[in-house]
Amino acid sequence: MKKFHMIIDLEKCAGCFNCFLACKDEHVGNEWLPYTKEQQKHDLKWIDVKVHERGVAPYTEITYVTQTCQHCDNAPCEKKYPEVFQKRSDGIMLIDINKANDPKYADACPYGCVSWNETAQNVQKCTGCAHLIDGGWKEPRCVQACATRAMQTVFCEDAEWDRLVERQGLKPITDGSNKPRILYKNLYMYNKCFVKGVVSTYVDGLEEGVIDAKVELKIGNETIYECRTDYLGEFYIDRIPKNTGKMAVVITAEGAEPLTRDFEIQDKSIVLDPILIGEGEAKANVILPNEHALQQALDHMTSYDAEDARKAFAKEKK
Amino acid sequence: MSQTSVGLKTTVQKLLDKTIVSGTLFSLDKLLNALGAINAEFKQELAKMNITVQLKLRDNTYGRWFRFKDGTVEGHDGINKDASVEMIFEDEDIARRVTALIRDQAAFANAAKQGALVLNGPDAEAMWFSSLLLKVFAFDVLYLKNYGTKMANGEMRYVQGTNGGPLFVYVKDGKIVRITPMDFDEEDADPWTIKAHGKKFTPPKRVTTNACAQNFKSMIYSPNRILYPMKRVDFDPKNGNRNTQNRGISGYERISWDEALDFVADEIKRVRQTYGCGAVFGKAGGHHMWGNIGNSQSSSKRFFNCIGATMTELNPDSWEGWAWGAVHTYGQTARNGSPEPYNTVEDCMQNADMIVYWSSDPETTAGVYAGQEGTIRREWLKDLDIKVVHIDPYMNSTATFVAGRWICPRPNTDVALAVAIANVWMHEGLYDKDYVKKRTYAFDKWEEYVTGKTDGIDKTPEWQEDITGVPARTVRNLARYWGTHKVYLAAGGIGGFGSACRGAFGTEWARVMVCLVAMQGYGKPGINFGGLQYGTPLDTRFYFPGYADGGFSGDYMTTGAGVNMYNRSPQSPSLNSETQSISRLLLPEALMEGHAEWNARSSYTVQAQFNKKKYPANGHAGVKMYYNYGGSNIGTQPESKRYAKMFRCDTLETIVNQSIWFEGEAKFADIILPACTNFERWDIGEAASCGGYIDRSFLQNNYRVIFVQHKCIEPLGESKSDFDIFQEIANRLGLWQVFSEGNSQYDWVKRQYEASDMVKIMPWSKFIKKGYYVVPPLPENRRDPVAMNWYAEGRKKDTPEITPIPAEYYGQYGMGMQTPSGLIEFESQPLKRFDPDDEERRPICTYIHSWEGVGSVPYTKYKLQLISPHAKFSMHTMGDLKDSFVNDIDEHRMLIDGHRFWIFRMNPKDAEARGLKDRDIVEVYNDRGRVLCGLHVTERVPEGTVHSCESCADYKTLENDPGGENTVEIMGCINNLTPKRFIAKNCHGMAANSCLVEVKKWEGGKVE
Repeated sequence: MKKFHMIIDLEKCAGCFNCFLACKDEHVGNEWLPYTKEQQKHDLKWIDVKVHERGVAPYTEITYVTQTCQHCDNAPCEKKYPEVFQKRSDGIMLIDINKANDPKYADACPYGCVSWNETAQNVQKCTGCAHLIDGGWKEPRCVQACATRAMQTVFCEDAEWDRLVERQGLKPITDGSNKPRILYKNLYMYNKCFVKGVVSTYVDGLEEGVIDAKVELKIGNETIYECRTDYLGEFYIDRIPKNTGKMAVVITAEGAEPLTRDFEIQDKSIVLDPILIGEGEAKANVILPNEHALQQALDHMTSYDAEDARKAFAKEKK
Repeated sequence: MSQTSVGLKTTVQKLLDKTIVSGTLFSLDKLLNALGAINAEFKQELAKMNITVQLKLRDNTYGRWFRFKDGTVEGHDGINKDASVEMIFEDEDIARRVTALIRDQAAFANAAKQGALVLNGPDAEAMWFSSLLLKVFAFDVLYLKNYGTKMANGEMRYVQGTNGGPLFVYVKDGKIVRITPMDFDEEDADPWTIKAHGKKFTPPKRVTTNACAQNFKSMIYSPNRILYPMKRVDFDPKNGNRNTQNRGISGYERISWDEALDFVADEIKRVRQTYGCGAVFGKAGGHHMWGNIGNSQSSSKRFFNCIGATMTELNPDSWEGWAWGAVHTYGQTARNGSPEPYNTVEDCMQNADMIVYWSSDPETTAGVYAGQEGTIRREWLKDLDIKVVHIDPYMNSTATFVAGRWICPRPNTDVALAVAIANVWMHEGLYDKDYVKKRTYAFDKWEEYVTGKTDGIDKTPEWQEDITGVPARTVRNLARYWGTHKVYLAAGGIGGFGSACRGAFGTEWARVMVCLVAMQGYGKPGINFGGLQYGTPLDTRFYFPGYADGGFSGDYMTTGAGVNMYNRSPQSPSLNSETQSISRLLLPEALMEGHAEWNARSSYTVQAQFNKKKYPANGHAGVKMYYNYGGSNIGTQPESKRYAKMFRCDTLETIVNQSIWFEGEAKFADIILPACTNFERWDIGEAASCGGYIDRSFLQNNYRVIFVQHKCIEPLGESKSDFDIFQEIANRLGLWQVFSEGNSQYDWVKRQYEASDMVKIMPWSKFIKKGYYVVPPLPENRRDPVAMNWYAEGRKKDTPEITPIPAEYYGQYGMGMQTPSGLIEFESQPLKRFDPDDEERRPICTYIHSWEGVGSVPYTKYKLQLISPHAKFSMHTMGDLKDSFVNDIDEHRMLIDGHRFWIFRMNPKDAEARGLKDRDIVEVYNDRGRVLCGLHVTERVPEGTVHSCESCADYKTLENDPGGENTVEIMGCINNLTPKRFIAKNCHGMAANSCLVEVKKWEGGKVE
């Protein structure tokens, strides 16, 4: 039998929150019996988009991670309260609204996907828009509203799904023991780390990024990845598992001795200080205003604004 | 043909006309009775009046009269002298044309203008009869509700439009069940394909929306809807107690529509008769409901034209620096200084090596109105091997989505960065010297400045580093790559917008953007403006009006109607005879201090902006009555507090607000007229199509989607369509025909269809059932030429737009730019003539340090540079608050201790230095105001820069003293803090992104 599955691709998510809004649109103000009572208008979310941040400015990366009921095949909720949580033969997990009238059931999901709706006096969660699917819709509202197809619904046989998981490298956002029907693509943006850095040098007293320098990522003496600096003299190595521990990059620029930078990967991505080849002094990435900058500012104001500013600063110094 | 046969034909024609007319009129009473019999609602309409109506030819050779009594109609041939309403036709020909079931609009307008069609009788009765006839034509739709698509489960599926894209609307039992993006069916046109880098790219067969659309159901059913006309409780003009000081404080009581409308109509007359022309002020929001007929360019324009009103002079807020700066480099006034977009998507995908998004965030702004159409294409970038750079002080949503290098200069220093790029190109010879020689003017003057020959400062990457905070190496390497590759520059979300143009000397940023692209050969393959947001290969030759083409405004001067609609939609012209206007940015000063001065501007010419305008205009009265229509606006205006103060001043005797939601300015009104959303009335439009000043903006879309906007549900409460409210006031002023030609909103919707190329495609009956049409893209070999390619190759302009107007060419028409030299001018000749010593806008583009940046006067007290670009989940104020769904999005508002705070973003280092942490309630302040926000600590801003969006929908002070000194604003109206100073002294533009603030933890207790 063809069963319900979903793929969420983190690389394709633009963080538009259409999925969240479409879910509210469908379930607030409407009661889809016997599937579910009305969703609470505010604060409770059947689908949510979490923002995950990596790196530091200007080497920041933002990833939107959409999370909802995973319609697990080995579902903790069903195990805990089998009278309330019932799996359909197509894989969609539903709640029996007649039995779900106790707030205690809200602790059923270790991933936080079940909540107590005080107004409806029911525990609730994503229904996979089963009321629509049963009425002929091809996908739930969240997926239909997704512009980039960062979310996709797949109705297929188990064997076909297994092939898809293999081929597309789909991964659960959990440890997998719950056997979720929602799997992710490019999950590295959420659960792995990167290291970024810039290699520069001085030519005739002027600093420039070193293009095409060899960058080797090492653990101990073993090179586990190799790349080259880009047009800005920068390198970017991603998908490093958290808690990898001590690592190093070895930079080899043409005509220069290899340079090594050690760093440690715990649970955060790393932006290395600028790596300078040859003589000179590399500057940090973001420079806070110093005396020189303040003077520069005055030099470039209109004459009258500069005059006002000089007076104000003179007054401040007094 | 001989004269005899012409005469014979005329006689035969006359007889025929008479037969048709008499036949139509003979059957009219029978028809009306029959319709009444099958539809109770129509029967009620028939029963509204007991009157006698005469229809006749002027010479009385033919007549038929009708007696309406208690819902039935009797018809009699002949002339009845006692008829209270008379419809007189000059002759048979006119009678036939006007009474024919498909009316000849041109004949109707002509006949009415020439007095060949006359309607006599008391207004109410004449209007009722006239509209009854129109209702017969629309019976199928208005009474039998024969529109939309019936779904299998009994729901009806309608179509509507929003600022965030068109939608399907599912309705059951008079209630909206759901709204969804539109999936196309097999009948709809297939998409285009772009071949690039050996691959084929085709958009999916659907139309996208964003939060501004998907949020709408919660906005329609918002508890903040105004459902009844209201009066401020202590507004009692009859007894001379207006209590203007209590505006924004005292409550409201429900009044009847008649009371409200009678008062407004009487007040318009009283104020104009007492004070003279100019005393009534009309103000319309820019991003109100979607739809060509309901839009401010249509209904409110016609209304204010009819009553005579002082109007707001809008600063070109989306364009600012482009309109006041870039026009002096390359013209383009018709687009307010923005570049041409044509077919740049294909050219970029095929030929560009890199896209530089500079102050460009189409993922937030949707370009303008374009849902997520561009998102789909930007998703292709990773398959195209095109490098991406984002330059913005804030890591905006486009930077988070499209992987690339984020460069974050300090706010308002972008010009220094750009100048340093040009500096590298000049020193290293990395620019198109041939192009610069042949296609630009006075490059040497700019080169002297950039390389320091004029002021001794060589503006190198090192020079800019202290100013921008961006390392010299980054700029040097970027410049080298850019100078040796084909690069598209996406300056602003759509090309020609961008928050960098809304800061101190934003003119210089827009100008330098043009300078950079010109140095690289603007218009050559792969070298252009754009970021895959605008310029898709769609059919530009199929005509359907955009909203700025004027709807039924009849205003041929200030909308696109003069160019696009004059020959397509015959309608009686309208004109506002009062020439006084007030700068929106100076409204508070104008009204409270009694005078204001600013520079004019025109889409037609460059020179227009060298003239001053002033308030009050000669011979005009000061404003006494303020009539606001459209959405909440206060949160979009710099130093917002001024507006609150202004509303409470006694200069304004009356404030009327026609609003959907109780928020923002509506809370300062004396009389509130409740309007409904477009989901509760008729309209028509095209996805993301503005027309007028953003001609062919549908080229942001993957499909041209033209749609009827079905009336999905009845208006909530007693709310009414804006159109109907204007009509009712017009009726009270004797203007009923003048305002609408007696047509309903539905009639005008149909007339827009008739004015467009849609009539060639499908009959109205089909269009109104399905609700939309997808215009097929042109075949690949008929696509538009690429923007500016004509210019690069020295050809006559061949892109599909008729601007600049002929007189703006100084040489051969159609050849070159809208500049005296016809070339891109590095040194602007008009600016040189106007004022060569203007330090705020020199003849060449220069870096001018902000009056409110590092090292400026306010910097002695406030060290954080605030930028406040557009919000992502609301279209300006449209969507924010109102208890809508988006308020639950953590990137939009932050729920802390029961209050939904506006979000304020700060770098962890700055937060730590102030002892602040994520989700703290913070007070953001400077000399201009204090605003409470929820703090988000994030690496999306570098140290020293802070970010919080403009456009909070409400304005509320903790002390309940709106506009009061030292008050604390609690809804997040961040514009309280931004400066009112213009971007440059001769440029009427806002500089909201030049703002210094400080931040501290809020210790003032719970906020409610």
